[in-house]
Amino acid sequence: MPREFEITYNAENVYDDWVHDAHWQFLIIPVENESQYEVEIEFENSLFAHTEESINGFGFKTLRIHPKKKFKKITFEAKFKFKKEEVDPYNFYINPDISIAYNEMQSLDFKITHERYLKFTSFTTLDSEQKGLFKFNNSISIFDNLEALNHWVFEYIKFTTGVTEVGTPLKDVIFEKKGVCQDFAHLFAALARINGVPTRYVSGYLDQESGYMGDSQMHAWVEAFVPGIGWKGFDPTNNILANTNHIKVCHGKDYNDCAPLKGIIHSHGKHKTVHSVSVESQQ
Amino acid sequence: MFIAFYHVPFNKRISMTNIENQIFSSYQRNPELYDEIYDKNGKIKEVYQKLFKLYGEHSIIDYVSLNNKAKSSFFNQGITFQVYGDNNVQEKIFPFDLFPRIIDPVDWDIIERGSIQRSKALNLFLWDIYHDKKILKDKVVPIDLITSSANYLDQMNGVNPPGGIYNHISGTDVIKHKDGKYYVLEDNIRCPSGVSYVICNRTALKKALFGVFNHYQTHTVTNYAENLLELLESVKPKGVDIPNVVVITPGMYNSAFYEHSYLAKTMGVELVEGRDLFVENDFVYMKTIKGPERVDVIYRRIDDQFIDPLEFNPDSVLGVPGLFAAYKKGNVTLANAPGTGVADDKAVYTYMPKIIKYYLDEEPILNNVHTYHCSRPDELQYVLDHIHELVIKPVDEAGGYGISIGNKLTKAEIEKVKAEVKANPRKYVAQPIMSLSVHPTYIDDTESFEQRHVDLRTFTVLGKDKEFVLKGGLTRVALKRGNLIVNSSQGGGSKDTWVLKK
Repeated sequence: MPREFEITYNAENVYDDWVHDAHWQFLIIPVENESQYEVEIEFENSLFAHTEESINGFGFKTLRIHPKKKFKKITFEAKFKFKKEEVDPYNFYINPDISIAYNEMQSLDFKITHERYLKFTSFTTLDSEQKGLFKFNNSISIFDNLEALNHWVFEYIKFTTGVTEVGTPLKDVIFEKKGVCQDFAHLFAALARINGVPTRYVSGYLDQESGYMGDSQMHAWVEAFVPGIGWKGFDPTNNILANTNHIKVCHGKDYNDCAPLKGIIHSHGKHKTVHSVSVESQQ
Repeated sequence: MFIAFYHVPFNKRISMTNIENQIFSSYQRNPELYDEIYDKNGKIKEVYQKLFKLYGEHSIIDYVSLNNKAKSSFFNQGITFQVYGDNNVQEKIFPFDLFPRIIDPVDWDIIERGSIQRSKALNLFLWDIYHDKKILKDKVVPIDLITSSANYLDQMNGVNPPGGIYNHISGTDVIKHKDGKYYVLEDNIRCPSGVSYVICNRTALKKALFGVFNHYQTHTVTNYAENLLELLESVKPKGVDIPNVVVITPGMYNSAFYEHSYLAKTMGVELVEGRDLFVENDFVYMKTIKGPERVDVIYRRIDDQFIDPLEFNPDSVLGVPGLFAAYKKGNVTLANAPGTGVADDKAVYTYMPKIIKYYLDEEPILNNVHTYHCSRPDELQYVLDHIHELVIKPVDEAGGYGISIGNKLTKAEIEKVKAEVKANPRKYVAQPIMSLSVHPTYIDDTESFEQRHVDLRTFTVLGKDKEFVLKGGLTRVALKRGNLIVNSSQGGGSKDTWVLKK
């Protein structure tokens, strides 16, 4: 039986001065895939501005609004209802001859096909002395190495809010050993890519019922491509594999490809943004 | 706009015909250089003979006054540009020289076929690297050409641009080396500029020297705009009958604003800035006094990173929010296509002969200059050891910025360049110093003709199943004696370029 989910996303933006022209683009809709489907979208804003659905450069659905009148405050509320199948993250087969997968990863075709998720971005670049932080053990499978990496990242960073922010470079995170889910995901992605595994950053929601770590906003984890198996989700913030509680919105090279909210605002003075997310589910 | 009055001393206005003052009496030829108007034996080439005779009837003083008149007409028309990096930003005219460059039909045929060949090969290359990436899988070019290029746009993967065209407009920079052969120095396929100068140079020359121009059967250059429009219309989005074309400019402070407005005016289409357009339900509209009007084809003179702040650089105020989504849906054509810049990376240039062979199964018509990749350790070593005889270029800068010419550097400067190259090897390529051909050019300071290095930028337009090369192009002149960099942003000038019909 699939679970029925309901996610509520709230955002409030308050500006000191009048805003005459603004565009927002939200990347917050649960993506439809094999396990998530029948997504219903409700989206409202306090200015009653028209909402457009579109698709961004990476093929994910967005919501855009462009209010036609000036304002100092705007609130958004999105509600998503959808069904999700139970996900068994261990439901796959590993070929006992692990060298096949390692060899495939070395091939040029593989590197070209997965080029996008093997390259290093501003969020996933490591200093040369940091590149050896986690080395794969070639006597165990790629999947086992990734699970070990998941555990390693979980142990390495202490989940702490308020230390890092959206633009904090990875090397500072490594130095501080503190951060939030984005930092866990970027560190995992950087180290998996160094070891030749295509890895993508995933943005989504986490059903926190079972006491998982995250915060009251959106969650981030990763998907790594294991030859012979496919994309597998890892949540280094919680030291688990992505499961039914991980509701995916989109993936990309890093946070930049997945920013939940992009705004082009022409205004002076300060502004304040508050987000909150709640996830509810029932069998 | 400035209006300048050129002071011509009265006594100089009297036309003198004594032989000493004739136009080429003091022209000094350096035998080391390839002079465009003389053959090997020191004789004036056939195509120039008539011109030489006609000019020869005048004195240098007549020429000075004519040249000054032409210059003021450029200012009056507002044909100016700005040089970045100067502390005092001011409008300058692109110095124009009335002595034209003549290209005979045999040479032109090589240049034209070569320009089309390169543009088509680059277009096929772009399609491939944004789709199946066969050229990478076949190991013809290395994968890092795309993985480490800042101009490769992941968002363009799998996108089919209308008509299958990426580089609608290409500017190919061609030189003649001292061996008498044509070489390509650069392919410019982002927003190549300069075509308006070609047309203005022709207008100015015709006005000043109609009596001379009239003696030659020269191809027109004023048909550029109509051909550009026709080819842009040929790549309209699906389902559009008569497309609405616009030119988008970063605005009046852009160095090429004159050209943007000129092209819009001569094509008879609207010139817009980002704020004049908006996107609704993934269609692009232009604000007009009669209400929104749908836009189908955008000739954009804004770089990729600035076209849509929601998709690319969020700080851009030049672009249109939502434009890329509209493009990706196939509701609007962008010329050139986003992501085209990856193929005019100077590292890609070095593979051009292979790229042409791979997609067209043809030998390159125009030669490539041998290039050393500083990213390859053995070539890097060669470059570091031979800087004094090489040109060092950053791979991703346009407009002649950041170029070092080895034999012009002091010892200290060489060390500085070495350190920079060592620190960022992927950022640099090096080439042997090419000896660009020289052409007689009028020099203000000495009031005489002197040899100056020239190149030629050709303009190729690709449309759906058709193409067009402007029969002329921009001959750029390095005005400083001995200088090899001809870009206008580096203080270069230009000449009218005549392509003869026969």
